[in-house]
Amino acid sequence: MKAITLAINGKNISCPPGTSVLNAALENGIKVPTLCHHPHLEPVGACRLCLVEDEKTGRIMASCVTPVAHNMSIQTDSPVIKTHRANIIRLIMANHPESCIVCSQGNRCELRQIAAELGVGQTDLYPMPHYTGLEEANPFIIRDLSKCILCSKCIRADHELVVVGAIDYNLRGFKSRPATVHEMPLEKSSCTFCGTCVSMCPTGALSIENTRYVGSPQKESSTICGFCGVGCSLVMGSVDGQIVDVNPSHREKTVNLSTLCVRGHFAHDYLNASKRLSEPLIRKDGELSSATWDEALEVVAQGLISIKEKYGPQSVAFLGSSKCTIEENYLFQKIARVILGTNNVDNGSYGSGRAVINLISERLDGGGRITPLAGLEEAEVIFVIGADPTETAPVVGYYLKRASRIKKVPLIVADPRKTGLVPFSSLWLALSPNSDVELINGLAALLLKEKADDSSFIDRFTQGFDPYCDSLSGLDLEKVCRVTGVEMAVMEETADLLKGKKIAFVIGHGILQQKHGTSAMDALVNLALMTGSLGGDNKGFYLIARENNEAGALDMGAVPDFLPGRRPFYNNKDRKYWEKLWDVKLSPDPGLNLIRMIEEAEKGNLKALYIMGENPLLSLPQPERIRNALNDLELLVVQDILTTETTHTAHVVLAGAAFSEKAGTFTNMEGRIQSFEPVVSPPGDARPDWEILDLLSRRMSHADGYASIQKIRAEISRRIPMYSEFGKLGDESWIRETSNLRLFHPYEEGESISFSPVISVDNEAFDKAYPFTAILGSLRCHLGSGTRTSLSDRIKDFGLKGEVEIFSEDGTRLSLKVGDKVRISSPNGSIEREVTLKKDLRSDDARQLMGLTQLGETDSPGWNGCHVKIQKI
Amino acid sequence: MTQPKEIDWGLMEATINKHRGETWALIPLLQEIQAVFGYIPPDSIEPISEALHLFPSQVQGVVSFYAGLSLKPKGKYVVRVCRGTACHVKGGQSILRVIKKELGLDEGETSPDYQFTLETVACLGACFLAPTMMVNSTYFGKLSPPKVTSVLNQYGKDKGEDE
Repeated sequence: MKAITLAINGKNISCPPGTSVLNAALENGIKVPTLCHHPHLEPVGACRLCLVEDEKTGRIMASCVTPVAHNMSIQTDSPVIKTHRANIIRLIMANHPESCIVCSQGNRCELRQIAAELGVGQTDLYPMPHYTGLEEANPFIIRDLSKCILCSKCIRADHELVVVGAIDYNLRGFKSRPATVHEMPLEKSSCTFCGTCVSMCPTGALSIENTRYVGSPQKESSTICGFCGVGCSLVMGSVDGQIVDVNPSHREKTVNLSTLCVRGHFAHDYLNASKRLSEPLIRKDGELSSATWDEALEVVAQGLISIKEKYGPQSVAFLGSSKCTIEENYLFQKIARVILGTNNVDNGSYGSGRAVINLISERLDGGGRITPLAGLEEAEVIFVIGADPTETAPVVGYYLKRASRIKKVPLIVADPRKTGLVPFSSLWLALSPNSDVELINGLAALLLKEKADDSSFIDRFTQGFDPYCDSLSGLDLEKVCRVTGVEMAVMEETADLLKGKKIAFVIGHGILQQKHGTSAMDALVNLALMTGSLGGDNKGFYLIARENNEAGALDMGAVPDFLPGRRPFYNNKDRKYWEKLWDVKLSPDPGLNLIRMIEEAEKGNLKALYIMGENPLLSLPQPERIRNALNDLELLVVQDILTTETTHTAHVVLAGAAFSEKAGTFTNMEGRIQSFEPVVSPPGDARPDWEILDLLSRRMSHADGYASIQKIRAEISRRIPMYSEFGKLGDESWIRETSNLRLFHPYEEGESISFSPVISVDNEAFDKAYPFTAILGSLRCHLGSGTRTSLSDRIKDFGLKGEVEIFSEDGTRLSLKVGDKVRISSPNGSIEREVTLKKDLRSDDARQLMGLTQLGETDSPGWNGCHVKIQKI
Repeated sequence: MTQPKEIDWGLMEATINKHRGETWALIPLLQEIQAVFGYIPPDSIEPISEALHLFPSQVQGVVSFYAGLSLKPKGKYVVRVCRGTACHVKGGQSILRVIKKELGLDEGETSPDYQFTLETVACLGACFLAPTMMVNSTYFGKLSPPKVTSVLNQYGKDKGEDE
């Protein structure tokens, strides 16, 4: 299309048709004041401040909703415009309470800024403020709608970005205000407390409930959120070295756009918790007491070296964290492999689907990892299986809801529970727990019957399609329906919706933590190959990562079976590569994973364990068993930012720094590598974790060490091909595709991908003693086991107890009422919780947080979907 | 206070189902519900929004925006008195005063037996008949206090009888 030329303030400008006059001006450095405009929201022309004049016609128009036209001659600052603008501001101010002195928006108030710029002081108008009550019952958001200027940014953010729809205008004329349904308080509405509206509000009508500090922070710095795997960009405001508020980054192209979730926005007050560690501790006479860094590091270095010399390298293990940065994870595994000569290194993300992730890595040779979430909004069809992103990774939920509601992408949700996505879905497959393998194969068989396979993709990139077809055609579809509990008509409807389209799969803990997870993933890869749904930005596998640096920790090789760059340890070539670089002979013995570490400690074979940033006593099932195993160790070093159940059992505690107190880098679930600088300093004598690791390795190896984070980053980008772009273009880069498969190769050279055999899994026989199935789910307000989020005052005030949800009819049968206490037991243990009754569950399903399953299964933990019994107590 | 008629939720569901999936049909659907039930029961906002793929807050916003839609039950007879310029000049104020007295209601109120609701409107568009009022969809013009009383009596007779 032809560009449009016009003049703004005498400057000739050319821009594409459809551009608004406002954007044309802003892009050319011409400032126009606005109150209701935001780059991520649809323009509505509510505030009228962006008025401009067309000199030729004399017309005055709101530039945000006026598209450019040929030969316009726009004046943005003519005397007429200035008068109009000043009058608009005067009117808004006359309707605004004079409460600036107590307003937490302080100097950030956009109304005040614009009034100042336009030279409006006293309005000379009769003040007519519209007083409404102050709403502050919830621990997150304060609403004082008397300060509302009706810009509708909060409403548009709610509808267009987070797609919750908790608020809209109610009533009209002077009475009109943003309101929830039936004017209920926020905590009784569908509001998820993502706080996006608070960050958008130009005045103090919406503000953060803050007990520590009210007003504008002294300084604002950018960082990356430390909770889930989405890796949202944040700005943190600090006062005197303490973080007082958190907002989404002001940058336009971030993964979260201008949104956050309740955790990111409100739970970071845990950083100021009194349980923060501020100095190293050493156990003396049974008690942990303060020590200097020299003393503490000496004990650790001596201890590790002497245990290695006495019992051999296999007696030492390192348990790192997917919450720590990639620089720290790289150093961590290097200390284990190079200095102590052991592959016993793992990180806490073991339980969130390692086996499944390894399987997909192996089948795709590490390819298909670059999955920008923005691609979901461009997808042809989305298939969400075993994922509840509206709770686990809310920003992924926003993408999916936007795709469905705004972009009209068909959305299929396969989940036993009616998750938050179901109301947005085209189809909900309410399958029986653990029957995903059958469902996926059933759908594949139906698609094959409809000849919906992508034959050109199959011919070019795959092998083994024929045997796959043969076994699919032998599949008993009636049995599939029986096992999954999904009716044939619904299966056929699903197949119709998928037919001829490339699928974007969103996969969550329902698959990742399921005991048949690897088989389900195998079946999903086959389905993706058959439909050609791989290799591209709007299709393939979107794996929801529970923790911020889950992908990064794996990429850095902080796992027993992979070297940095996700190269498998059994591959001689890859091992040689690193042996040469590190100038060391790597032990060919496979290392211990997290579960095996605990088992070896129980047997007495493991003597020393170095834990960084993990709290296994809370995050793993069977805490008593783990406590006993840890107590048997000769040396337990725990490096953490908080006093936890695990630090209490340690011999040495090293005080680390939270992400906001150090420089580092996280790789998110999309494959986006994001670096950040410290916002504040660590508390007391605590130190950035990479510094601690560097000091320790210098002490043990007597080598030079890195001394600066830039040196670690340089080594990572030079040595790991996947990270070759890292650090080259500022703070953000993407991982590079390094797969040897033809599909992912730019010139289509290399190997083809094999179909794997169709298998069907047998669910264990129904056990009368354990008639219920426990489905694990997480809550939006908490992350993982809640070590950090439960220290947030705001989250604590919200009063979530982790109740068990039971299908209401089952509840009636067991004569349970809401609030009753029950004991839930599996053959491996039991927990006690309060009950809520839900209609949206299948019969026989109960939902629980964590903690009933056995540790032993090393392949796929199968922590999800175990059989339990429920007793009232 | 007497309660309005029980809501027939089966009928409500059937009314909503006629427009299931039709996001564009919000206003026609609301008008239909208003016609059948006399108002938009607040508890119907949820099922309406679910059927039309809208947010409940959006539906409430539309209902509360239009004066023709009401979230509160109204009387069997809705009396709308015109307070336009022509009616004002011709004594519309005293007509309103008489009606208030006769019905014992203030503007916007509904009688406890749900027989009458009194409203005022900016203009009924029948200025040549000033002063005017409407009862449900019937116009009454060239009003005088005795005429008002007789019109109201005419509706008052039905009191207690069902349609």
